[in-house]
Amino acid sequence: MTTMICHTCGQKAVIRMRQHRLALCKEHYLEWIIDQTQRFIEKYDMFNHREKVLVAVSGGKDSLALWDVLWRLGYQTAGMYIHLGIAREKEYSTLSEQYARDFAAERDLPLHMVNVQEESGLTIPELAQVSRRGRSKPCAVCGLVKRHTMNRTARELGFEVLATGHNLDDEAAFLFGNLLSWNIRQLHRQSPYLPEKDGFARKVKPFCRFTERETAAYALLRGIDYIEDECPYAVGSKQIEYKNLLNQLEEVQPGAKLRFMLGFLQVREDGFFPPEEITEENLDLQPCPSCGQPTTSGGLCSLCRLLENARPIE
Amino acid sequence: MPVILILRRQEFQLEGTLSVKDALKQLDLSPESHLVVREGELLTENDSLRNGETVKIVSAISGG
Repeated sequence: MTTMICHTCGQKAVIRMRQHRLALCKEHYLEWIIDQTQRFIEKYDMFNHREKVLVAVSGGKDSLALWDVLWRLGYQTAGMYIHLGIAREKEYSTLSEQYARDFAAERDLPLHMVNVQEESGLTIPELAQVSRRGRSKPCAVCGLVKRHTMNRTARELGFEVLATGHNLDDEAAFLFGNLLSWNIRQLHRQSPYLPEKDGFARKVKPFCRFTERETAAYALLRGIDYIEDECPYAVGSKQIEYKNLLNQLEEVQPGAKLRFMLGFLQVREDGFFPPEEITEENLDLQPCPSCGQPTTSGGLCSLCRLLENARPIE
Repeated sequence: MPVILILRRQEFQLEGTLSVKDALKQLDLSPESHLVVREGELLTENDSLRNGETVKIVSAISGG
């Protein structure tokens, strides 16, 4: 087979992106990722250099790569790591935390730590055990706790923006899952940019157009150490099944994932989904009487209800 | 001497000189979600793997 050549300089390529008909060497790939990220930030008007950005980091490739890129672009960033207390098959959360700590220390960047067990008395798997949401699999409880904690931390610490490392595969799989069950309500909330509203911090996903393969390649080529092991509870999850299916399609139709995602954003913008106020049933957001976070329940928010019902496991 | 490929502490062996693309295909791994690394260098699907060498396969899929 012939050696692939960088489209920019003619040196040996290290990656080929069929959906873009582009192959690049290490130097130009690293540059390309940074330039494209800046382009997405501007396209969706996510934030500017005067605003403070809190980057939610998990110790994985996407979030650490995102933090690295935003830092190189000169944005005012700090990280936030949420220790979930996941310890099945080695100390997964503790190992992940170490990667996040090392990354921040090497770049002399601030990292805010939140420990779910210290705050609630229970780890995520324990919270799932005492919840109807996820006795067999704690992913739903984990998602709830992370969303709540990220929003609260961003607001309490005075950050204008909360950035997450969601990539194209995450977004396409989420969209696929919601379309499979025609969960229209969720479709309104899926966006590279959600403005600050009613107690919710502004949320952005600057990596939403990069595939997981591309973010992994960036982390490897940049020399970012990250936790390669999968969360032990993610094995066999629906989201991973959807990702595998979409990657099978991508193999025979390069660009399918990007078209799926961008097409969705376009038709929604064009008004092909019911207006949000109809599907949202005129939801009235009120502050939770316990934690102050916005909720539609009229009483305690979902997380506070969960914590109230939770009892430490003997 | 076969090509040795390591994916998350699991070792695979393939015989003969073959491309990265063919190696992933033989292992039933999607090239859309896996990268192959030789001594820290990222390989494209056209690069050849040679008998006796060891490479690392990185899974890019994550999430739950």
